[in-house]
Amino acid sequence: MLNINKNIEGNKALYQLEGRLDTVTSPDLENALKENIESLEELVLDFANLEYISSAGLRVLLAAHKIVSKNGQMKLTNVNSTIMEIFDVTGFSDILTIE
Amino acid sequence: MENINITLKGRIDSSNAPAIEQEIMAKIEDSSGAPVVIDMTDLEYISSAGLRVLLKVKKSNPDLKITNVSSEVYEILDMTGFTEMMNVEKAYKTVSVEGCEVIGIGANGTVYRIDNDTVVKAYNNADALEDIQHEREVARLALVLGLPTAISYDVVKVGDSYASVFELLNARSFTKLIIAEPDRLDWIAGEFVKLLKQIHSTVVPEGKLPSMKEKALDAAEFMRDYMPQDKYEKLVSLVKAVPESDHMVHGDYHTKNVMLQGDEVLLIDMDTLATGNPIFELAYMYNAFQGYSEYDHEQIMRFQGYDFETGTKFWHKVLSLYLGTDSDEKIREVEDKARILGYIRMIRGSIKRGGLDDTKKKEEIDMWMNELFELLDKTDSLLFTIDEIEVEATVENLKEVQAFIDEHLEKVDCPVKASMQISLAAEEIFVNIANYAYAPDKGNATVRIEVTKEPAVIITFVDQGVPYDPLAKEDPDVSLPADARKIGGLGIFLTKKTMDDVVYEYKDGSNILRMKKII
Repeated sequence: MLNINKNIEGNKALYQLEGRLDTVTSPDLENALKENIESLEELVLDFANLEYISSAGLRVLLAAHKIVSKNGQMKLTNVNSTIMEIFDVTGFSDILTIE
Repeated sequence: MENINITLKGRIDSSNAPAIEQEIMAKIEDSSGAPVVIDMTDLEYISSAGLRVLLKVKKSNPDLKITNVSSEVYEILDMTGFTEMMNVEKAYKTVSVEGCEVIGIGANGTVYRIDNDTVVKAYNNADALEDIQHEREVARLALVLGLPTAISYDVVKVGDSYASVFELLNARSFTKLIIAEPDRLDWIAGEFVKLLKQIHSTVVPEGKLPSMKEKALDAAEFMRDYMPQDKYEKLVSLVKAVPESDHMVHGDYHTKNVMLQGDEVLLIDMDTLATGNPIFELAYMYNAFQGYSEYDHEQIMRFQGYDFETGTKFWHKVLSLYLGTDSDEKIREVEDKARILGYIRMIRGSIKRGGLDDTKKKEEIDMWMNELFELLDKTDSLLFTIDEIEVEATVENLKEVQAFIDEHLEKVDCPVKASMQISLAAEEIFVNIANYAYAPDKGNATVRIEVTKEPAVIITFVDQGVPYDPLAKEDPDVSLPADARKIGGLGIFLTKKTMDDVVYEYKDGSNILRMKKII
């Protein structure tokens, strides 16, 4: 289960994620981002209520990061320690901007 | 009240109908109210004048029953709607079973092979038509729900009772297989368990089959007068705590009731079919393989034709496969739960048959009773979980696999972090199997979970897809910047990094990947 709460103002977008970002739900995030990602200058993903992430979720994050980085910045906020550890192990904490 | 028996012979038409009517009516008036049974064994023809006589009898005697109707007369009664208006029983062909091979002897009757393709199940009970009808209905239900079973296509008379007729082409029971091919015991047990799992995963529409729990409660309540109050109360509360289930159980699952016909495995003897928790099935199975022969080890030889040692070996193999574990401790734990229900069934049966008045039977009952008391002292629940599931390897089934794993992790109070890492690793491995093992075809994956004393969780994935060692793949370079990072390879890498041990082997046509996490 993944709930996505979108908040878009001009070139800035806030996505609040709740639940699990896994093989089954990652395509939902991918589709939700697709619509306007090319034009974004700032993309904030709020992980406060995200419990779980698998490699399928990591792949979506990496792809989004590459696209947004062309014109702007992608940020993750409120990452819990278990997910943070996965970012550390995979080197994602060096790539992504995590607050 | 005695029946009024009337026999009709030859032809009934307008020439003799009035005389016959008078005769019957006189008989009925003599003993008012008694049910009328008309035997048509030797009746060849009945015209509409004759049918009108039957109508009059039916009017004055609503319980009218017509028996032994030849197929010619039956056709007339059927065409005119009489078979729906009144109770009409066809005449049954008589079959002799003298000198025929006995395939099996059950509680309700004996199964004979009358020729290469045909077996009959002869019921002990002389009034077996209802039982036969019941078994036919449940067999039909089982077949519709996808279970491989034989349905009787005819009913015949054998001696004073009835028998249902089945087509079974050169089928051999698993009992015979065990005796004839003891070195194939593993294979036989595997097929036996596969069918058992299929039965237990079959969901039965509400109200179609009786509930096993109710039967078990009856047996438990019977024990009230034969055991100490505190033990009795514990027993009843254990049975009551087993939730109702809409999944099927066979109710008499042993090696005589499973047949091999060609390479197809068939289930027979369906009259005990019910719904319920699988522990009830395991209880009956325990009795068949162990319980009834615990006191006298020769008993299983008389019933199955193989010895107690073979029965024990087969039973433990079956339990191990069914539960998906090699752990003797776990097998014993589930077996003990089954024994509680098994003993009360055997004790009740023996007491009802007068066992308390027979020295040897009394000794046997006492032995069962002692075992039961010991088990009750150390058992807190009759429920168990199976440590293995087999699903089609598709991404859609990931949820089911994760729910299965979560259920076990919750039971051992696995810490949240370890739990998430296990879930993550399991997802990576399962999704890999789903995407690549059988592509573009489909196949199954088995997931097994064990919790060791360490404490650690061990999860094993087995598939029969193309041989592939995911661990052999080179790890991605995690120090590269985003632009240089490739999209793939992260899943296996994460699995390796978050688990304490991951090993792969290819064995007997299966990819086996085992991962361990210390919790």
